[in-house]
Amino acid sequence: MAEKGKMSIDHLGGVVRLREEHEKVVKDCESRIQHWEKISGDYEALNERLHTLPDQLSYDIMVPFGPLAFMPGKLVHTNEVTALLGDNWFARCSAKQAQKLVAHRMKYVKKELDELSLTVKNFESRVSFAKDWETMSARKGEYVDIREDMGHPDDPVAKAKHRVAHKPNSMPKVDAVLDLREPGGEQGGEGEGEGGDKCVMTEEELWARLDELEKLEALQDEQDRLSDNADMNGEDTSSLSSEEEKEGDQARPADDPILKPSWASGPESKTLVSASRQEQQEEEDDDDNEEEEGSSLPTIYFSHTVEPKKVRINTGKNTMLKFSERKEQKEHSKKKKKNGHANGHAHAHHDFHKITTPADIYRLFVDVKNGEPFPRKSILKSRSRENSVCSDTSESSAADFEERRAFGRGFSHDDGATTHSDTSDGVTEEDSPTAVPLHPASRFEAFSGTVVEKDPMPTTVPHLTIAPPALPTILERRQEEVAPDAAPPPQQAPKRVSKFKAARMQQK
Amino acid sequence: MAEAIQKKMKAELDKYTQMQKDVSKSMSARQKLETQVTENNIVKEELDLLDSTNTVYKLIGPVLVKQDLDEAKATVTKRLEYINGEIQRYETLLKDMEKKSEQHREVLSSLQQEFQKAQGMAVGKA
Repeated sequence: MAEKGKMSIDHLGGVVRLREEHEKVVKDCESRIQHWEKISGDYEALNERLHTLPDQLSYDIMVPFGPLAFMPGKLVHTNEVTALLGDNWFARCSAKQAQKLVAHRMKYVKKELDELSLTVKNFESRVSFAKDWETMSARKGEYVDIREDMGHPDDPVAKAKHRVAHKPNSMPKVDAVLDLREPGGEQGGEGEGEGGDKCVMTEEELWARLDELEKLEALQDEQDRLSDNADMNGEDTSSLSSEEEKEGDQARPADDPILKPSWASGPESKTLVSASRQEQQEEEDDDDNEEEEGSSLPTIYFSHTVEPKKVRINTGKNTMLKFSERKEQKEHSKKKKKNGHANGHAHAHHDFHKITTPADIYRLFVDVKNGEPFPRKSILKSRSRENSVCSDTSESSAADFEERRAFGRGFSHDDGATTHSDTSDGVTEEDSPTAVPLHPASRFEAFSGTVVEKDPMPTTVPHLTIAPPALPTILERRQEEVAPDAAPPPQQAPKRVSKFKAARMQQK
Repeated sequence: MAEAIQKKMKAELDKYTQMQKDVSKSMSARQKLETQVTENNIVKEELDLLDSTNTVYKLIGPVLVKQDLDEAKATVTKRLEYINGEIQRYETLLKDMEKKSEQHREVLSSLQQEFQKAQGMAVGKA
């Protein structure tokens, strides 16, 4: 308020000064106007005199004789006038001509007068404005200058204050993820608990949860491995493990903001994953990496009973690739054995990182879910897949479906083409045409509502966006998953039922 | 230190005032010329009004000297041109003077600041 008052005082001073200056100008103008008006009067009188002078031939006048005396005299040659033209120039002319001269001068005078009066008008208006302003600043007059205080810069903006984008101690993404899942309503106690708790959970709690899930996944991996090795057709186990993994992964996406994206860790984790197939040591790293990767994407695992780990990937327009994960694992393990445990990862890493064909890129940069490399969307054309072992399957509906397809396309290049051996570059010496590290795309068929029961391996769902549509199959699956998830891991050891099977059973 | 600055300031101030005077002189001269211009314009116009029948005189000192109308006209025209030229010259002169005075002003202000600093220091020392 003090500042305001000071400002107004300054304003007042400035306004007062302005007004004074204006008034000065006005006064000056007025004096000039007076001067000119006087001159104008003089000329008027002169005009009159010139008009009357030639009336008489001579006039009797008292002629001034010096400064103090007069003497009688006569004024003759009344018509002859010597007029001063200006600048020491004289002209002898008749009275009439003199009159003309006078008229001309009068014009000039009048012009000057008009100009001055205009100036005076302008300045008078300015003066009145300044006066009003003065009264306003002094707050004496009726008109008040409307002013709004901007407020102190220290105080937060009102809007920002009231609106809180995120609640404190809450993970926005976590909430979003959980909210998505909750409407599905399949998560059961655990999921809901997560959703409910996570709003309040602190980071530390989240990390604790993360650790839990890591352990879960480790167990899952073990089981997967066991089931993979022992039972090629053990889709039940895989389905179970996939369910668990899915749960873990779904929980993990909540940690998205914490963990780096999967693709970044893809190549590394992949190699690590492959290396750890047979080794327990790297399990945790594996899990970590897998977790990291998994956490970037929620995973929905399908397991089907029919085919032994052979994946049908929709790799193009109505083309599918068969993918055998078992073979891929074999490749990995063999490679690891060859390269030795110690340098396993490194070599594998290097081998993997050798890129000679575009397909190598897709081979390399895969997301690893549960130890399985998860292919990414490929820009390679599907034409290269024509030679591959493909079969028509359902149409694609989701974007992920496209991804799988695209990725499959990339791998089809490996598959059918003769360059397959090139791409396998030290990766797989015993590469078989069908050994493609792809994930079944039929999962997406499930998303779209069609069920393909030839999905062997648990695979990951790339995007959370798939989940929301909440198609019946997914719901059912999730319900199934929820049930086993709720149960502790040991309970999952017993018989696993294919999700689709279970769904069908339920439907029946 | 302060004294030296003070001396400098005085010298600078004198220069500045001198400059200001010159500027004002030029200004007044220019104004005179302006009036002369207007006057001569009027004379020219009035001479145009007159015809050759009436004689024109020029006042030289206390003597009125007869002048031919045309000559008078020519003379007035020439004078007019001369005056305009003078005005131009004075204008340029005025500009230069303004610039110089500006420079002097700046120097003066800087000197003033130094002086104040020195004074402040002197006060501090004392």
